[in-house]
Amino acid sequence: MLRMQGISKSYGAVHANRAIDLDVAAGRIVGLLGENGSGKTTLMNILFGMVVPDAGTITFKGLGLAGHSPREAIAAGIGMIHQHFMLVPAMTVTENVMLGWEATGRWLRPAAVAARVRSASSAYGLGLDPDARIEMLPLGAQQRVEIVKAVLRGAELLVLDEPTSSLSPPEIAGLLGVLRRLREEGRSVIFISHKLGEVLEICDEVVVLRDGEVAGRAAVAGIGRRELAHMMVGRDVGAPIDRVAHVAGAERLVVADLAVRDAAGIERLSGVSFSVRAGEVLALVGVDGNGQAELAGVIAGVDLPTHGSVFVDGADVTAGGVTARRAAGLAHVPADRGTTGLVAEMTIAENLALRAFDDPPLRRGPWLDADAMDKLARERIAEFAIRTSGPETAARTLSGGNQQKIVLARELGGRPTVLVAEQPTRGLDPGATRFVIDQVLALRAAGGAILYISTELEEALLVADRIGVMYKGRLVGLMPREDVDLSRLGLMMAGALEEHPDAAALYGVRAP
Amino acid sequence: MRLALGRFDALAERAVVGRSFYRAIAWPLLAVVLALGLTALLILFAGKNPLLAYAALVRGAVGSWDRVGVGLNKATPYVLTGVGVALCFRARVINIGGEGQIALGGLAATWIALMFPQAPPVVLPLLALMAGALAGAGWAALAAGIRLRRGVHEVLVTLLLNFVGVLIVSEALQGTLGEPGSGFPQSPLLPGAAWLPHLLPGSDLHVGILIAVMVVVAGHALLWRTPFGFRLRVLGASVPAAAYAGISEPRTVLSVMSLAGALAGLAGGVEVLGVHYRLIDGFSHGFGFNAVAIALLGALNPIAVLPAGLFFGFLETGALAMQRAVGVPTPLVSVIQGLTMIFILSAMGLSARRPKA
Repeated sequence: MLRMQGISKSYGAVHANRAIDLDVAAGRIVGLLGENGSGKTTLMNILFGMVVPDAGTITFKGLGLAGHSPREAIAAGIGMIHQHFMLVPAMTVTENVMLGWEATGRWLRPAAVAARVRSASSAYGLGLDPDARIEMLPLGAQQRVEIVKAVLRGAELLVLDEPTSSLSPPEIAGLLGVLRRLREEGRSVIFISHKLGEVLEICDEVVVLRDGEVAGRAAVAGIGRRELAHMMVGRDVGAPIDRVAHVAGAERLVVADLAVRDAAGIERLSGVSFSVRAGEVLALVGVDGNGQAELAGVIAGVDLPTHGSVFVDGADVTAGGVTARRAAGLAHVPADRGTTGLVAEMTIAENLALRAFDDPPLRRGPWLDADAMDKLARERIAEFAIRTSGPETAARTLSGGNQQKIVLARELGGRPTVLVAEQPTRGLDPGATRFVIDQVLALRAAGGAILYISTELEEALLVADRIGVMYKGRLVGLMPREDVDLSRLGLMMAGALEEHPDAAALYGVRAP
Repeated sequence: MRLALGRFDALAERAVVGRSFYRAIAWPLLAVVLALGLTALLILFAGKNPLLAYAALVRGAVGSWDRVGVGLNKATPYVLTGVGVALCFRARVINIGGEGQIALGGLAATWIALMFPQAPPVVLPLLALMAGALAGAGWAALAAGIRLRRGVHEVLVTLLLNFVGVLIVSEALQGTLGEPGSGFPQSPLLPGAAWLPHLLPGSDLHVGILIAVMVVVAGHALLWRTPFGFRLRVLGASVPAAAYAGISEPRTVLSVMSLAGALAGLAGGVEVLGVHYRLIDGFSHGFGFNAVAIALLGALNPIAVLPAGLFFGFLETGALAMQRAVGVPTPLVSVIQGLTMIFILSAMGLSARRPKA
């Protein structure tokens, strides 16, 4: 159905795509794998007519596509579902489907469109109400609206960019079901993802990109997870995680009855209590947006809780903000390294100094000590194997994995007592993910207490001693890793099951 | 001159990036050259010889030590205020309240000079300048407070407070501070002890330019070498990163606004004590906006604000000579200034649109 041949595109000296061939047959789901910067996005933008390639041809349903606009790509039957949905929150499902779609003729005919939405919804099992406002819908349903939009516009090839990154396990299962039904109809799907498990489950074949080139392609039936990971990063990252069993020590991080209201007065977090011991990793899982960000914010001191307390090594740091927590040895890896964890425009040296610039040795009297900053940067770059030309390089020029290494180098370099890590592997390839996990486990072995917030169950189970589940701002489950039952965990994440953790009895959380 | 306020945020964003000296200087130079070229065409259309006009402009600006002194005096308040504006923009605080801050600085300096006419010569100008800086800082802090407490955007607050500040000066000149019987809203002549000393005997050049150079050097050191400058740069680049780094946004905004206000107030004091020797209604007119243009022309680098300020200052003093010699009207200088800004804005817009690898 789709044949892309010899696609090349370079920006200056950087080859974003080099002689890439991609074939998608009708009724096939093709996984497009690759770390950030490997060229997936460029390739899809070329397909969708948003970027003009330097060389190469695109044939879709036997017709050549060249110099086409996104509008022409849609008209030809290509549908793109971006990671961030292109929907108007204040409008209804029907209105969003009609937006920019002239198939209803000169007049808007909402009733006719609503009928088509309804019939498509039942045909594919989408469960959409045409009159529902987008902002009232969960993310999974919003994604299904995007799918309906594409299907009604006649898309025979759907491109889904990281479609599962903000869905709960039941929603992911639902999405995969929808994709299977589309495949049965003879439509094709390009499924862009980092998550090897999903790719192996849904795709018929995979194409792996690395550094703008095709690093490998294979039928899913004949390949395993480890080979795929190897293809993505070009080296073996499947070695077993070195996870030493040991007994956790004293409580280092204690949070008691935390609650947060946002500016509009809506409760984003309520009644969260737990503790993390020395040498222990507590992983909090849950679908993105269920209070994890707020929880991390108040523990790390970026925001103040409306109620409750935070203790680090027995000292109450609740009201002390970021500074008091840093003094108590709390390190923080924020979720968004692009705008929070790093200042993209500033140099690596400045980014490594981002949170310690006002303390000796980086500050000497009233001055910043440029030599001390440079020395620290060189040490950290060597210790954490950050690939860069030097401390004066702007952080934005580095790859995602190297950027995250800067954050880790800054936060872990000071040998913290407590680490709050928010989605520290988001958007990283398997090699960089492995590096992050190894660092977290090294801190665990050294007696640090780690709160590991993740939306990836698999990864959480890998690092955690205990697992907690967040749903709608509350901790709805807390259990040792050995007791985890995956289907129950999935239900908890979807809010269908609640196990009030008998924290006091099981884990000895005292009300300080 | 008028500037498109909506572009300020984008500009500040662009300018935060550039640290390399050459990169910082290439666009402004190109903009100046293009502006001069285009203005030459306008002069040509008006039937005059642009080369003669520019020659007269240069002669008028730097043709004699006397003219150089006048140009330097003209540039002094621009540079002082421009450094403060540049620091504010670095932190993404769009302070366009220079005019009001200058006005109140001049008012406070005048008031002190008239209150203590018996004070010794060195002490009196120092006291008056300090009062001017304090008044400017207070006026800017008021704007910062309204932004921080009530959430009103600082562009609006600083702009509107300009009118209030200028009117307060008018009011004072109509009342207690006015010169009786002069028929013009101005204060009496200040006591000689309050006048700023001249650098060269027989020329108008006063010590203000030395103060401006010191402020430029101090501003550079503050921005690149101190924790405070680091805070400004982080806050300007990313508000969430600043919160993460434990940098208090309110405290930083209040500090940098007060600092910029103090520099503008100082500029007002210098203008009154060094040039007019009295407070004149409307003496700060246009200074605040020119300072914004100069800060941007200097790519928000305090060091580069000095040549940018000198350029504007000499352009204005040269304009009068150009009008006398060739008959090209002085407003043409505003055209050059305006075109320079338009080219800078365009250059920044273009470089922002360049594809990134």
